[in-house]
Amino acid sequence: MKTLPLLLLVLTTLAACTSTPRRYYPPVVEQGDAAAGRDEVPPGEPLEPGASRPAPRATRAVVALLDQARAQLRAGDPDAAAAVLERALRIEPRNPRLWSQLAWVRLRQDLPAQAEQMALKSNALAGGDARLQAANWRIIAKARRLRNDADGAVAAERMARDLEARRP
Amino acid sequence: MARKKTRKTRSRRRRKGRRFPIPWIKLAFAALALLAAYIAFLDFQVYRQFEGKRWSLPARVYARPLELYVGLALSPSAFADELRALGYRFVSRPRRPGEVARDGSRFRLVTRPFRFWDGAEPSRDLRLEFSGARLESLGDGARRPVALARLDPLEIGSIHTARQEDRVLLRLSDVPPELVQALIAVEDRDFYRHHGISLRAIGRALLANLRAGSVVQGGSTLTQQLVKNFFLSSDRSLWRKLNEALMALLLELRYDKDEILEAYINEIYLAQDGQRAIHGFGLGSRYYFQRPVEELDTARIALLVGMVKGPSYYNPRRHPERARERRNLVLRIMREQGIISRAEEQRARTAPLGLVEAAEGTSKTFPAFVDLVRRQLRRDYREDDLTSEGLKIFTTLDPQVQWALQKSLARRIAAFGRAQPELQGAALVTSASNGEVLALAGGRRAGFAGFNRALDARRQVGSLLKPAVYLTALEQPRRYTLATRIDDGPLEIESGGELWRPENYDHSFHGEVLLYQGLAHSYNVATVRLGLELGVEAVIRTLRRLGVGGPLRPWPSLFLGATELSPLEVTQIYQTLASGGFHTPLRAIRAVLDETDQPLQRYPLSVQRVVDPVPALLITRALQLVVAEGTARSLAGRFRADAGLAGKTGTTDGLRDSWYAGFDGERLAVVWLGRDDNQPMGLTGAAGALQVWADLFRRSGVSVLRPAVPEAIEWHAIDRETGGLADNGCGDPVQLPFSTASALPEPVSCRAAPRRWLKRLLR
Repeated sequence: MKTLPLLLLVLTTLAACTSTPRRYYPPVVEQGDAAAGRDEVPPGEPLEPGASRPAPRATRAVVALLDQARAQLRAGDPDAAAAVLERALRIEPRNPRLWSQLAWVRLRQDLPAQAEQMALKSNALAGGDARLQAANWRIIAKARRLRNDADGAVAAERMARDLEARRP
Repeated sequence: MARKKTRKTRSRRRRKGRRFPIPWIKLAFAALALLAAYIAFLDFQVYRQFEGKRWSLPARVYARPLELYVGLALSPSAFADELRALGYRFVSRPRRPGEVARDGSRFRLVTRPFRFWDGAEPSRDLRLEFSGARLESLGDGARRPVALARLDPLEIGSIHTARQEDRVLLRLSDVPPELVQALIAVEDRDFYRHHGISLRAIGRALLANLRAGSVVQGGSTLTQQLVKNFFLSSDRSLWRKLNEALMALLLELRYDKDEILEAYINEIYLAQDGQRAIHGFGLGSRYYFQRPVEELDTARIALLVGMVKGPSYYNPRRHPERARERRNLVLRIMREQGIISRAEEQRARTAPLGLVEAAEGTSKTFPAFVDLVRRQLRRDYREDDLTSEGLKIFTTLDPQVQWALQKSLARRIAAFGRAQPELQGAALVTSASNGEVLALAGGRRAGFAGFNRALDARRQVGSLLKPAVYLTALEQPRRYTLATRIDDGPLEIESGGELWRPENYDHSFHGEVLLYQGLAHSYNVATVRLGLELGVEAVIRTLRRLGVGGPLRPWPSLFLGATELSPLEVTQIYQTLASGGFHTPLRAIRAVLDETDQPLQRYPLSVQRVVDPVPALLITRALQLVVAEGTARSLAGRFRADAGLAGKTGTTDGLRDSWYAGFDGERLAVVWLGRDDNQPMGLTGAAGALQVWADLFRRSGVSVLRPAVPEAIEWHAIDRETGGLADNGCGDPVQLPFSTASALPEPVSCRAAPRRWLKRLLR
């Protein structure tokens, strides 16, 4: 019985130096593919209307990533496509086509506000490329419609038509 | 009677004695119950420890992976630095992952496989050829071109509590079989046969110890050693040993052999690195050899296994001879047990210890940057999860830029520090287009944790705020152009009941100057006058759009930067300017994966246009002219003429703060120098911070800044004196962009009219 106090001491010290294992995972924050299934791009088609050929400046690496993003979008995974396009943008941050593609993917990710901003960024870099700018205004129109801004959408569509009319 | 009485008493006593056993049995039962409870308690303890250790994993923090593609701007020596930091071994013929051969500017390597947030990168055989500071060709082993590949990312830190040890968790299947076999052969040959304790081993140890007359051999099984490691105590009492033996038996009842072995491999104490205890073969391998355990050869495996017996006694860095003997003994046992052949033993015996120190000048710990990462993570995760859930944090840090920044800052401060030993500094480098933080220095000694000036030093910003005044003006194209004349003559204003007479840095007035010149030369009086025309509220609105969050006092002194901001906050403002008017939140994290490599969270790119393209171009042009002909013109001569660098110097009263914020086509860097006690230190923005900036960009290379030009822009040659449209007679006019909504300045004929400066001189 002499050991009882000792035992209690051991018990309390042991209890004090242990920690509780817990498994808690924070939730995945990014949007799922709620937008998947909408605006399906037919296989073989470019992501964004009007960009049928790779931009002249695009390096092989960027072309490979664009292909990968297209495949992921077709597979209904716009989040993965967005990650790949961001990777491409790290290689060519001033390529307006990449920004435009990302704008399109943001629509598919159900992020219309960001889609509009990405399209504006693309336009800021697009120089005199009226065709690309028109495509971006089409994206902006879509984004505004998704945000219930009908007037804004009409204005954007007018911009797109004006730019398209400039072409021979 | 007396007798009778005695007998009676005796018999009573006997009867009493017969009654007594029942409480004794109760007591025995109680003792047994207590013992059972105690065993149950021990069982619970050992279970908790085992499960707790199994899952308590600090978050690991990674730098950006190096992307390889043709056209990549990178010098072969910088590439070699990165490989060395990653622990790649330079060999003559690379065969295994983590090996590289170099022949001048040609490399051949086998990359390590790695799981990223956006998919897996397999191990690849790559051939690279550099030309100058550019990757010219990239192919696979069969010389087929490869479009894109990426290396495994550099691990730059882990997030663990002060008490917690750092660990790299290994799965048993990741551990080389040779290591497992050697460990069992050396430490516990009966491991797969015993039930936690081995009487045979104890007997053998006893015999050996008796023979030697001292303790030369232990009889502890791996399971017992594991238990001992769980409760890390130097107590060697019999009670302790009994407890350990009991817990070892309990552990074996609960878990199978492989689970115990896996825990052992991750738990065993191997070294002490300052405050940090090195537990487990995963971390031990990195600590001693700078490489993952999968890539160890036989000699190194034997060295590590040998250290288990006495990590400090056999420490190969302190006692190389002792460690070598121990390693060779392990090799002999491995051969005797048939784990390796005699030839392999011979080869390994003659091998050097193979210790690798962390590469010089390419340190891998960046506490100031990890501090920023940690703060960003705290917004989304609980501290507990960061220190125990084994998260993988993929950050934006670019080691190449970080190393260049650390060198530039340390070198320049050391040079200035001869006159100013108290001089401190901080800096951030970001990617101009997406807001990723590439490098961060929180003080002159970048490798040390401590006061993180980049985030926490709030200092007067001085002229760094001036672009907000000029941008506010340029957003009114009908009123202002870059060539508008503004007055830099003496000025008196009443502010807060006091009369304020702003002065220029050179204590003189410059009369009428062109708007861009006010910014380029950082004229205080012209800027205040312009600000008053615009209104302080309008300038505050601009600052808010650019990204200033904190309080701003609506006083005219704000035009001259009378507000305190941290280098991080300044970087956010200039980020908007460097990305052509798109506010881009600064990010230090790309993604977070959980322990099983499932994405938990991404931090996607987001932008917000806050300045229209036309004024964005006008202010960029003005910032380029700061470098071309203004306060930062000392930069112009140091970089190629067409680099088009843009930036702004900042100096505060009494030379207490020296700032420079500048960008090229790809990167923005903000540098601050000053003293922690806010005493004068004698450097202007141009003499101090700008020098660090120049050093940094010389090391990491500049990319040409060619701002996007909107369609509603016209370029005109402008006479620097009058601000008029220049004719052929005007010497050295300045090319300025104008909004098509602006009225153009009147043409001047330089041939006809006498020079304005002549007029001024005659006045």
